[in-house]
Amino acid sequence: MAGGIEDRYEDDAEMRRALRALPRHAAPARLRSSVAQALTADAAPRSRPSRWLAPAISALAAAMITLLWIAPLLPSAAPPDPLRPLARAVINEHSRTVLWGESRPDVVPLVLPWAMDEGGILLNWVFTGDERIQLVNAQPTYLEGRRGIELAYRDVEGHTVTYLILPLPALVLPERGRVQIDRWRPLVRKENGFSMILWKQQGLLCALVSDLVSDEDFARLKEYFIKVRSSTDPYPVY
Amino acid sequence: MADDRFREQALEHLDALHNLAVYLTRNGAEAEDLVQETYVRAMRFSHRFEPGTHLRAWMFQILRNTFLTFYRLRERESAVSENGIPEGEAPMFHDAPADDSERAGAHMDLERALVQLPEEFKTPLLLAEVEGLALEDVARIMDCPVGTVKSRIFRAKERLRSHLKDYGAGPKD
Repeated sequence: MAGGIEDRYEDDAEMRRALRALPRHAAPARLRSSVAQALTADAAPRSRPSRWLAPAISALAAAMITLLWIAPLLPSAAPPDPLRPLARAVINEHSRTVLWGESRPDVVPLVLPWAMDEGGILLNWVFTGDERIQLVNAQPTYLEGRRGIELAYRDVEGHTVTYLILPLPALVLPERGRVQIDRWRPLVRKENGFSMILWKQQGLLCALVSDLVSDEDFARLKEYFIKVRSSTDPYPVY
Repeated sequence: MADDRFREQALEHLDALHNLAVYLTRNGAEAEDLVQETYVRAMRFSHRFEPGTHLRAWMFQILRNTFLTFYRLRERESAVSENGIPEGEAPMFHDAPADDSERAGAHMDLERALVQLPEEFKTPLLLAEVEGLALEDVARIMDCPVGTVKSRIFRAKERLRSHLKDYGAGPKD
């Protein structure tokens, strides 16, 4: 056939016209109805807060302000460490994973979308493991007042490595304590028998924590860091 | 933005969202699930929408992110044939007009070619050329620079032409 379809779209304008002329897949009536219903249900009036809630909150706020005012006057043994609460929270979360976390690599593909949805963190790519370390669980988490996501890995020697991702755009990691690992300079901390590697990525705070503390063990944690850092692409949803 | 007004405006984009969802999922039921989930998320995160910005683009962004979260992950698990199309999945051509067989055939070929495009080429092409979104909006949805969007659209068209040539070379009825 002369002037076949392959020639018809050589011109850009012709291609655009053809694309715009494609039949549109309009939303079926049942979808329109179910979406409208879902939106209406979402708009249902929420229950009124209790009468005692406002005075209770204002009393609590007054107490907190007083505490904040007094706190700097209290004797302090060491300069404040802005990362300490976060580091402790990360270690606590890792400890919970070690004590009660399930190792279910078979269900990770199923729970990962749910964990991402609940945690508000999208993982475009995720490091699922190799011959040395395996992704064994994923779950949403709540740390420092932020929703995030937690990935649990287990290496061939049975060490649990927890990878936490939290949206903390305002947090700036200090220069002190940073170590060059491959092409990155994350912050390294060792605390209470745990090692932590902390870094920022797309406004997110990422932390890799494990009990790999000795020099030899920590070298392995650095290898795991390179693997997750180069093969995981997280960013906050919306 | 008041909730009622937000809902009303969000619903205006239902057809456009469904159209893109069909091209992304290649499955009517999944497209409907995807659109439904998009609206649920849009309502959940409506406080993050900045009034005065482009609601249509924001909704498309949620739809794409939701697709990437749920569907692409699932697609990775399914068997993928050599040409990149998951095996056992047939493209949707159910809306092709029946009144003009030549035009219907051309639409069908174009839809078949579109379905074969990878998501990162297909989405910007559909958003810019079919939905008429500005390149800046497409770039925001795709989370990449405008230059990348232009390049992807260019490459999408090249690939479409290549696929269409393949169909043209095949036997005709």
